[in-house]
Amino acid sequence: MAILVRRSNLLVPITDTERVNRAWRSDADAVTLDLEDGVVQTRKAEARGLVKETIALTAKGGAEVFVRVNAALLHADLDASVWPGLRGIVLPRVESAADVAEATEQTTALERRRGLDVGALELIVLLETARAVWDIRSIITASPRITQVGLDESDLAGDLGITPLPEHDPFVYARGRLVVEATAARVQPIGITYPLGIHPRRLPAAEVHRMATDARNLGMKGVLCPDPSWVAPVNDAFTPSADLVAHHKRVREVFASAVAAGTAAVPLDGRMIDVPVDEWAKFVLAMAEACDARDAQKRAAHGGS
Amino acid sequence: MAWRQVRRSGLTMPVVTRRFIDHAWRRGCDFINLDLEDSVPPHLKAHARSLIKGAIPVVRKGGAEAFTRINHDYVHADLEAIVWPGLSKVNYPKAESADEIRLLDAVITRLERERGIRPGTIEIGANIETAKGVAAAYEIASASSRVREFGGGSGYDMSRDLGVEMFVGFEQFAYGKGELELVARALGLQVRAAPFVANTTGSVSDADRAFREAQAARKCGFRLGGGLNPAVVEPQNRGFTPTAEDVEDARWVLERYRELTRTPDTWKVIDGRVIDGYEAARARDTLEWATLCAERDREKAAAVLRTRTAMAEPMSPASGVMRGDA
Repeated sequence: MAILVRRSNLLVPITDTERVNRAWRSDADAVTLDLEDGVVQTRKAEARGLVKETIALTAKGGAEVFVRVNAALLHADLDASVWPGLRGIVLPRVESAADVAEATEQTTALERRRGLDVGALELIVLLETARAVWDIRSIITASPRITQVGLDESDLAGDLGITPLPEHDPFVYARGRLVVEATAARVQPIGITYPLGIHPRRLPAAEVHRMATDARNLGMKGVLCPDPSWVAPVNDAFTPSADLVAHHKRVREVFASAVAAGTAAVPLDGRMIDVPVDEWAKFVLAMAEACDARDAQKRAAHGGS
Repeated sequence: MAWRQVRRSGLTMPVVTRRFIDHAWRRGCDFINLDLEDSVPPHLKAHARSLIKGAIPVVRKGGAEAFTRINHDYVHADLEAIVWPGLSKVNYPKAESADEIRLLDAVITRLERERGIRPGTIEIGANIETAKGVAAAYEIASASSRVREFGGGSGYDMSRDLGVEMFVGFEQFAYGKGELELVARALGLQVRAAPFVANTTGSVSDADRAFREAQAARKCGFRLGGGLNPAVVEPQNRGFTPTAEDVEDARWVLERYRELTRTPDTWKVIDGRVIDGYEAARARDTLEWATLCAERDREKAAAVLRTRTAMAEPMSPASGVMRGDA
């Protein structure tokens, strides 16, 4: 099965021309043109009018292009966004399977009307309420279009009535539930660790890298990046390092010789290497290759622009 | 909670490795888990299956219970080969649905009947090693009365399913372990869990760490151990067993509580410690557990003695004659 490599997804307010124009150079695996929180209420209609022409420009560097729509303006926003070149929709404030069904139906109708592959557009859903976290299973299994799911931690804090303190992570349960339920449903969980998920801001690259690594170690598969400075450390944190690749190559060799010698459990550096360890090594090596391939695609796109 | 079985320590070993099996009875384990799954290479699965019946009495010679871990994908062939008198438990890896457990139950029920095993003897260990398993935990744990202990939610398979490196921390398992413990407690099952004691090296033979983990687990109310390396058996037995001091202390608490019940008060502070019904219940629990551990240790010691005596019998007169002849 092909591995979906979407380490970084850069969020850009579509009305911010300067940032939109720079987004294709960001090296993000995906760029999401924001119609929602990044756009002031008075400019929603104007923002919608910009989407169609911005998609191709944004894809120039090989990034997948998404649009984040407003839950309250779903129909108008989808109507303005479903055009050739779009990879999918980021659907915020999803509360129930019915919300997913509504977005899916309209997307299907638009795909059909505009001659696009029916069912090809993906959905990334964002959960922002206690109800959504509780009902995550029915939400993320409501459509095969859903490939990723994340929490919007600022809005979730609001819904729970929490004034978060940086030193106390209030979302250990919510994040754990997200990872387990998403993994069980074969949907990628996305997010970064506390407190960066709730107070997105510019930080030294090393800090972002550390928190993205922690997120990967929780089972997250990528990060919605509010700032271009996050992209490089996030890409790096979600790409298996050279050391890790070397280690897992060694695991595979040691295990193969053990099996040839009649046992499938063999010590290596004090650890026990058996089937699941070998399977994991196989996966990490495949992941490293998939990341390389994705990076090569982006380089090729840049070369051609 | 009534603890029926004392399972502080146990070794999981590939049934195909003869020297592990032959020496298993000397290890002092409460149980031995004969593995047909991940430690047995695919081309040896059939051979491994054929060894279980013979291995069960061998590994029990030191008083350990015998378990077998079967393969998720070979349920029928594995069960036919392993359900024999002397087996206490079938460990089923990567459990993901209640239907899987009901199928195991049906096959085991038939085999118990056919092979003269008291109905209901053999337990099912439903090992939760994937996110799907966590998501279906309640249905799985309540699918059969043969599931009597429950827990898990961490380890190599879970890490692989979540897509994380092993040994990087604990937080990636917090939700899954929490869910499984809640399910176990809600259904009145014995909880297989442990607090987090950092193991960033992944070592399976660190005796000191094994002791600290067992001790911490016992203090959190967990009592089930197990491992892969003989070096952790004794530390686990020791860490899970109340010390003489703990026993002494529990008796003191109960004595103070008995005195308290003759007064109109429901609680009182003595030497800076609260004495009440809750503390008394904990003390009773400690004493009960200490008694069970001591009984289990006597059983094992008696089994080891029987085995040594049996091994010595044919040798002593014969070898004496031989030495005399030489």
